[in-house]
Parts: sequence; C-alpha cells; structure tokens
Amino acid sequence: MAKLKSIVEDSATEPVDLSNFGPETTVEDVGLDSLTILDLLYDIEQEIGVEVEAKEIIAFRTIGEITQLLIDKGA
Amino acid sequence: MGIASAIGVGKDAIWKHLISGNTGIGPLTAFDTTDFKIKIGAEAPRDIVKEKLAILNRRPTDHALDLTMVAAHEALVQADLIGEAPPYEDQDMSVVFGTGKGLTQSLQTAFESFFEKGPRGARPTTVPRCMYNAISAGLSIQFKLTGTNYMVVSACTSATNAIGVAYRMIRDGYADTVLTGGADAFFEPFFFGVWNNIPALSKIEDPTKACRPFAADREGTVLGEGAGVLILESYEKAIARGHKSVGEILGYGESSDARHITSPNPDGQAKAMQMALDGAGLTPDSISFINSHGTATKGNDSCESQSIRTVMGDATDQIPVSANKSYFGHTLGASGGLEAIATLLSLKHQTLPPNLNLETPDPECNVNLVGSEPVSIKQGPAMKNSFGFGGGNGVLILGLSD
Repeated sequence: MAKLKSIVEDSATEPVDLSNFGPETTVEDVGLDSLTILDLLYDIEQEIGVEVEAKEIIAFRTIGEITQLLIDKGA
Repeated sequence: MGIASAIGVGKDAIWKHLISGNTGIGPLTAFDTTDFKIKIGAEAPRDIVKEKLAILNRRPTDHALDLTMVAAHEALVQADLIGEAPPYEDQDMSVVFGTGKGLTQSLQTAFESFFEKGPRGARPTTVPRCMYNAISAGLSIQFKLTGTNYMVVSACTSATNAIGVAYRMIRDGYADTVLTGGADAFFEPFFFGVWNNIPALSKIEDPTKACRPFAADREGTVLGEGAGVLILESYEKAIARGHKSVGEILGYGESSDARHITSPNPDGQAKAMQMALDGAGLTPDSISFINSHGTATKGNDSCESQSIRTVMGDATDQIPVSANKSYFGHTLGASGGLEAIATLLSLKHQTLPPNLNLETPDPECNVNLVGSEPVSIKQGPAMKNSFGFGGGNGVLILGLSD
C-alpha cells in the first residue's frame, strides 16, 4: 500500500492530497483520468514487476481493489 | 503581458533589472556541467516559478511549460481576463505560441528511459508530454481557452512569428483575442550539449562579461530560458469591455533568406523590416528605437547592423539600437516574446536600458548603439527584430496605446 501510494504520488501531474490515502480512495480522488492512469499502470509494472492490463485496472475504482488485484497477481 | 525569465518573474521585476543593468547570466545549476565546455547560462528562478504554479494548482512538469503557465497567468490576470486563482470559465480566446526546442525536460527524461530500457522504457504519456503543442494545448486546458491552439516553430524567430500570426488573425477578423508569445527552456544535458560544439556560444567564462552584443570583442551568445506572453485583443473588444491596453502592434513583416541554414542574410532581414514599416504605414524617421535581435554572435550583429542601415537610410544615426540578450541570455524561440515585452516597457518608460559589455563597439556594427547608461527616447513606435536559424526573419512595429 505504501509503495502504491508513492507510485500514485509520482504519477500525478497536479498536487494531490494523499493524507487519507487508503483502501477506499478512488482513482478520481488522486487526480487520475483515462490517460494518466496508463502512466500509473506503467509505473506499477516498472516498480512492482507485475503486468496489469488497462481494462483490468479501469474496472476497479478504489485503491483497495487495485491492491487486491496486485496481490492476486503475485505482487 | 507576462514574463518569466532569468532577470525575474513579472514585468515589474524585469524592468528593475533592465534599467539597473543587472544580467541574468550566471553559472548553470540545472545539471552537472563538469563535462561541458560551456558552464554558464541565464536560468529562470525555479523556486519562484514553483510558488506561482501552486496558485494554479499545478506542480512542476516540464520547465518550458511551467514558465509558460506562470507568464500566461500574469498576462491574463493583468488583462482582466481571468481571476487570480482557478477554476476558470470557458472563453473564446485562441493560443498561437512559439517555441524553438519544445518540451526538452520531458524529451530528456524519455530519451534516458528509452536508451536504458528500450521500447519498454517509454511511459504511455510520453507522446502528449513531449509534443510541441503540449504548450499551446496546456494553455488552452489550464485557462479554458476555446479558440484554436497551435504552435509556431522557427528557431529564434518563433515567438515573433507567433505574435505576427496572432496579430494578423485579429486584424483580419478571425479572432478577437489571442494569447501569444514564446517559451524555451532547454538546460538539459542533451539539449544544451548539442550547442556546446558550435562556435555560436561565447567561451568567455565570466558570466557578467560573456554576452557582448555589437562589441568588437564579442565571442558569441549565451543561452537562456524564459517565457514571454502577450494577450492581443481587437481594439473594438478592448473598448467594449473598458480595458486599457499597454500597447499595440502597428505592423509586422516576415521573410526567408533562402540562402543558408545558419548564416544570416542582410537582404532577407531588410525585406522583413521594410515590410513591417510599410504595414504600419511608417517611415524610418518616426521610429523611436530598435530592439535588435542582437545575439552577440560574430555573424548576426554585423549583418543586422547592415540591414538596419539599408532600411533606415539617413535616419539610422538618429535611431538608438538596444540589445537585451546580455540580460535574458538568448532564449531562442522565447526571445521575441521576452524582448517584445522589454520593448513595450521601454516605450512606456521612454527609456532604453544600457547595452551591457559594449565598451568597444564593432566598427562593422555601424548603427547608433545605446551605451553603458540608460538613454531617453523620443515618443513614437519601436521596431523589434528577430532572426533565426533556418533563415526566417520576423519584425514587429510596436507602439503605446493612445
């Protein structure tokens, strides 16, 4: 979760408030849209070594769901 | 108008330094210059830029884009077209903007990642981050400007060409308001490195002495970064909303040397200068001063002097010639924007800043050069020259508003 927080922070193009970053945080809360979420996917792949398809992550809305997906994929 | 440069952020800050003769050139700090022949440049203050970006709820992304946003914010607020802080409403304004080198910080990052990791090193947003029109598009999105948005790319003439295009759009009735000017920021190892091995850059190590426009002992230019933004508005619209503008564009000329990719040509330059004068319906004796391209390269300054004498004829000796690049550095595609603003400030104050490092004028630069003290000027419009690699020439005639 902490790793994901730091990746999200680096991916954001505008200042985002991550003080309440947690499982219920949505991708919209952290300022990601359909384009910038691609950078998040790329950074997850580079940093954590797990490949995630865009359609998989777009189906999820919260950080908790994304975290579970990464765990399921063996992260 | 709005400006972010090595001698300050904001028009009041830059005028103070211009009139005091304070250069913005210093040792480069943006990256490690150990292996570079040239170790100086004119850097814009990143801390101030970061503070100003926070007003727009932005964090630094690409330095060229960041400088543009800060300068555009100042220009739009001063023109009473936006409030200090977002959110902003849609408005029918176009963006026609200049750059020579584009989004170099983003490109440098992309190059490094690609050459380290191969195609897998390319972040998905590399394309929209690195495209030249990320600047005009970024302005449109940030400030909700729904007219057209595109870039003009013509090396050191970019901003002046962009201003000229914007002027014509308004004059010919295609737009009421256009945000224009130029930006360049390229203190990145690759983009600065490619300049290091060509003779256009000064080898003088003392930053205060390195850039010597029109001097006999000039050795080349010094690079700089910055953004200069002008908001052009039709006279009718300005009157209708009760806004008093700073100045006006009276004429614009442009040409291509069609001779050499880097060497300037006096015929091409003179053609653009004459076209600008003719467009404004002016004769040389009505020009109060010339804000020169004045790069401090061997090639430019003598050629430009020759072009000035060709066009101005007998009036040449009465027209003071000013050069700003010893303050801002040569900001390439931004230079016409920064220097157009300096031209308007000079008109407003009826004073020209000193030409730095001009102890010994070059006899081959036989024009009326401003010396080491500020000079008072008569009332009347000014000429602003910009010339670029590629042989493109752009010339503006600028005046104060009535």
